[in-house]
Formats: sequence, C-alpha cells, structure tokens
Amino acid sequence: MTISTETTGPSIAGEVYLADVRRKPRRSGRRRGPGAASERTPLAVTVVKWVLLSLLALIMLVPMYILVISAFKPQADIVLHPLLITPDMFTFDYLWNAITSEKFNVVGAYGITLLFVALVNFFCIVLSAPVAYVIARGRTRWHVALLVVFVSGLFIPGQVTLIPVVFVLRVLGLINTIPGFILFETAATLPVTIFLFSAYLRTIPRDIDEAAALDGASRMRAFWSCIFPIMRPVVATIIVLNSIGVWNDFVSPQIILGPGSGIYTVTTGVYAAVGEYSTDYTVLFPTLLLAIAPAVVFFIIMQRHIIGGLAAGATKG
Amino acid sequence: MADTVARLAGTTSSRAQATSRRRGLTSWQDRLAGVIMGGPALIVFIAMFLIPMVLAVVLSFTDWNGYSLHFDFIGLDNYAKAFKNPRTIDAAAFTAVIAVAGTILCNGIGLGVAALIAGNGRGNTVLRTIFFYPYIISALIIGFLWSAILSPQGAINSLLTQFGVSPLPFLTDVTFAKVSVILTIVWSHFGFNMILYLAGIKSVPAEYYEAATVDGASRWQQFKSITVPLIAPVVTVNLVLTLVGLLKAYDIILALTDGGPAASTQTIVYQILRDSFAHANLGFGAAQSIVLLVVTAVIGLAVTFARRGADQKASES
Repeated sequence: MTISTETTGPSIAGEVYLADVRRKPRRSGRRRGPGAASERTPLAVTVVKWVLLSLLALIMLVPMYILVISAFKPQADIVLHPLLITPDMFTFDYLWNAITSEKFNVVGAYGITLLFVALVNFFCIVLSAPVAYVIARGRTRWHVALLVVFVSGLFIPGQVTLIPVVFVLRVLGLINTIPGFILFETAATLPVTIFLFSAYLRTIPRDIDEAAALDGASRMRAFWSCIFPIMRPVVATIIVLNSIGVWNDFVSPQIILGPGSGIYTVTTGVYAAVGEYSTDYTVLFPTLLLAIAPAVVFFIIMQRHIIGGLAAGATKG
Repeated sequence: MADTVARLAGTTSSRAQATSRRRGLTSWQDRLAGVIMGGPALIVFIAMFLIPMVLAVVLSFTDWNGYSLHFDFIGLDNYAKAFKNPRTIDAAAFTAVIAVAGTILCNGIGLGVAALIAGNGRGNTVLRTIFFYPYIISALIIGFLWSAILSPQGAINSLLTQFGVSPLPFLTDVTFAKVSVILTIVWSHFGFNMILYLAGIKSVPAEYYEAATVDGASRWQQFKSITVPLIAPVVTVNLVLTLVGLLKAYDIILALTDGGPAASTQTIVYQILRDSFAHANLGFGAAQSIVLLVVTAVIGLAVTFARRGADQKASES
C-alpha cells in the first residue's frame, strides 16, 4: 500500500490529538461514525468551505435566475434592473409573443424534438441490444473483432463524419429528411450503447439462455423475452444519455435537416429565432426559457437516473 | 479463479451442445441467428461511420462544394492550405488554449468540489444538483444566456454602472472575449467532471479513511494520499473526455461570440463548419477535420499512455 509511509509519521501526535477529540463528542452526546473526521476539522475551515461552496452555488444559480425573471420583463427593466422583478414590470406579453412567434414554433419544436428522441432511442436499442448479445455470448475472435469495430466509433468525432455523411445521405436521397437525420443520430449512439450493453450482458449468466433454449425458444425469442427484460438498468442509462444528447444536439440537425427543410428542433429553432436578434432581450429570454423548460423539468424528475447514468456511462466507456 | 472459469466454460459449452443436439439445431442455424441479430447494426454503422471515414479522406483531396455530385482531385492542396492559412492556425491555437485551460479548470474545480461534497448530507445533494444542472442544457442556449449577461448592456455591466464602475468589454475586447469563452465553458462543464469524481471517491473503501483517521492523517493528507492515487483511473477518464470534448467546442462559441471580435474566438470546428457549408468548400473542411481527428487521437492516446503508471498503481492497491 502506498499510503503507509505517509501515515506512520504523524501517527503518534495524531493519536494524542484523536484521544482528546474522542472524549468531546461523547460528552456532548453527538453521534460518531462517518462524520468523525469532519468533527475534527476546525470551525474556521468549515466556515471557509461553506462560504466557498455557497459563492460557487450563487455563481451557478444567478444566471438561471436572471433568465427566468427576464422572461417576464420589458427591455428597459431587463437592462436597468437585471436582478429585480416587481409587480409593475411583470408581464406575460413577451412569453406569449415567444409562444406564438412565427419564427420559432415552440409546440412544433417540442413535438419534433421529442419524436426524434423517441425514434433514436427506439432504433438505437433495437439495433444495439441483439448485436451486443451476439458479441457477449460469442466465443470466436470474430466477435471480439466486431466489438472492436463498433467501439472504434467512440474515437471518431461527429464533426469528422458529418461532412462525408452529407455526401452519403445525398447519394441515398435522404439529405434534408427526417429518416436521414434519424439514421445519422442513431448511428452516432451505437458505439457507446453496444459497448455498455455487451459489458452488462457478460454479467448475466448463460443459464438463462439455456433454460430458454430448453423451453424451445429460438435464439431471437430467448433474447427478447428472457434476457432483454433483465437489461433494464443499462437500457435506462442509455435512454438518459441518448435523450440528453439528441435534445441538445445542434450541429447535426442544423446541417442534415438544414434550414431549407423547414424542420426545426428546439436548438435549431432557438438559433433561427434569436440568432440575429440577440440584443432584443424581450425575444431572447422568453425563447430561452421555453427551450430549457422541458429539459429542466426532465432533469428534476429524473435527476438520480441522469447523474447515475452519466457516471456509469463515462466511467465504463 | 481462472481454473474455475475454464471449467465453467467447458461445462456450459458441452451442455449447450447437448441442448442443440436434442433440438436438432445445427451450428449454421445458430450462425444465421447471429447474422440476423448483428447485421442491421453493422450495416448502419458501416453506412454512417466507416464509409464516411473513408470518404472524408477521399474528399479531403478534392474541391467538392457540397451539393454537386461532380468534383476534381486537387492532391494535397487542402492540407497545404490548412497549414498555411492564418485563420486556421489562429483557430487551432485558440482551440488548444480552450482545451488546456478548460481541462485544468474543469478538473481542478470538479475534483475539489467533489472532495468537499462527497458526504451523503442533504446540503451536499442539493449542491451537487446546483453545480451539475448546466450540463443538461444545450451548449447553444448556455452561450446565448451568457452573451446576454456579458454584453455591453447586459446584467453584469448594468450592475457595474450602477455601482459607479465603468463597464467591461467582456465580449468586445479580444482578450476579454477569449477569457469569457473559457470561463463560460468551465461554468457549464465542471459539474460533469464533478459527478465522475464523486462516483470515483465513493468507490474508495471507507476503511482506508477510517485507518488514516485513526493514524491522525488530516483531511488534506487523506485527499492527497488516499483519494487522488486510488481514483487515478477516474482522473484519466476525466482528462481524456474533457480534452477531447473541448477540442470540439463550437455551439457555445457560436451563440456567445459568433467567433468575434475580429475572429479572435473562432475554434477549429467553427472553421471546419464555416469552410464546409457557408463557404461551400467541403473538401477543405474535410482536410481540416482529418487533421482534427489525428490530433484528437494522438492526444487521447498520449494522455492514456502518460497516465498508465498511475492507473496501474491504483488497480494494484
């Protein structure tokens, strides 16, 4: 162990110090346990720690606060009183203007983007799960090679493939169409998904496959009805990763769907609506509020899964 | 251990053979199932990753404009242009600054904050959410939000004026704009690094800390001698993900500064997309993206290689 040399030095002094502290909590009746170390930290350190954390929290929250209140204020008040909102400046007019704006049809953009999220998730799982199963159960080096091919996709930045993908989609006649966009977005999710799925499937015992086979199920049937339901946690992780990725993607819809197609996702819609008018805050703030509202609600409801999913996805990938 | 695995594998495969014999299955049927299950994903992957990769290389030697199906081969001209073009060189230099400064700040703050709020208290959970939330918002929208806050009549300058301080050129001065871009990226990204570091810190066995506490090690000593060495693999993943991710910075800059003032905040992806689509020179864009791909791969491998020693030590202890 690497730490032993470091810790033997101060141990004698430490024991004396510790013995002194150990008595204190007992007298004051406080519980010891995981918090034992923090009880030893001097008050000043604790105060500095919380002051720093609170400051950082403020820096994180104030921009969001400004975004929300500014969506309900006229331009002059946004510029003059950036942090205040009073009843006499409060108005729904600009939010309503943004909702009914011809430049950015929010309801349409929500619908289209949600549809894209659902379709990409569906195709991603339907394509990845069986191939991950074949890879996880395979014993030949062809299966290893297959995994390596898919995982190599992790190292290819989307921007590199995007230009030639435009060429491929043009040849296929799918440029500026929804199927073309779904095809590209689904493909982009395959490397991570297949990697995580096959890693998870390796932990599922083969006995289940064999039991299904004994009952006369075909391999395909055995997979979808017996194995796939066990994959729920990893499928949830992938849905979280895909949903955030597709909802926030800007470059691929902007280039593959293109302004000519008339199809706007939330991000390309925001760009079209405020791109040139970013100094008119009565357009900018309500539009931004509308764009982030669904994502923030989704985050609040699914917080635990999102954070857990991202951590799992990144540390295994 | 290995022996047990081998024995298990032996018994399962013989059992599987027995099952398939009983059902009259031949191995070609099994193989057919594999092809049916793996084929579709492989076709999509080939169409959207492998063919485009090869095409990217081919197109980088041409003057393709993006819409016609006709183009001429112009040899290495695009690459020569990329390494001579002052715009590309400036963009590459600023991208490198973003990647290095952003990686240091995101990981420094992310790891520091993670160490401070690793406990299970309610306050820590709330702080975690507050620090992380910008990550689920589209980078484009973060860019628009901060452009409104930092602009000449934005919230910060409005407050500065009210306190009698002269406004600062956050987005209109070359140096200020570069710093603003980097800090906005750090603001939106360090929460993601924090989540990964938290997952790493929580995986360190509590006994190590207990033993160190008994030996009288301070919190700082514990962080330095237990946490950091044991989460070395998480540090590596974070460094690679942040570096590679920031080399692709685009959306946030498009919305925040649109590459200005005086083209000082243009990044390499900004150049690639502008040259490819706005300037209708996909051949030149493809050449630059191939260079980006090579640089990304080299950096990713270099960091992984440089961290190999630390990673190995962590897995041994």
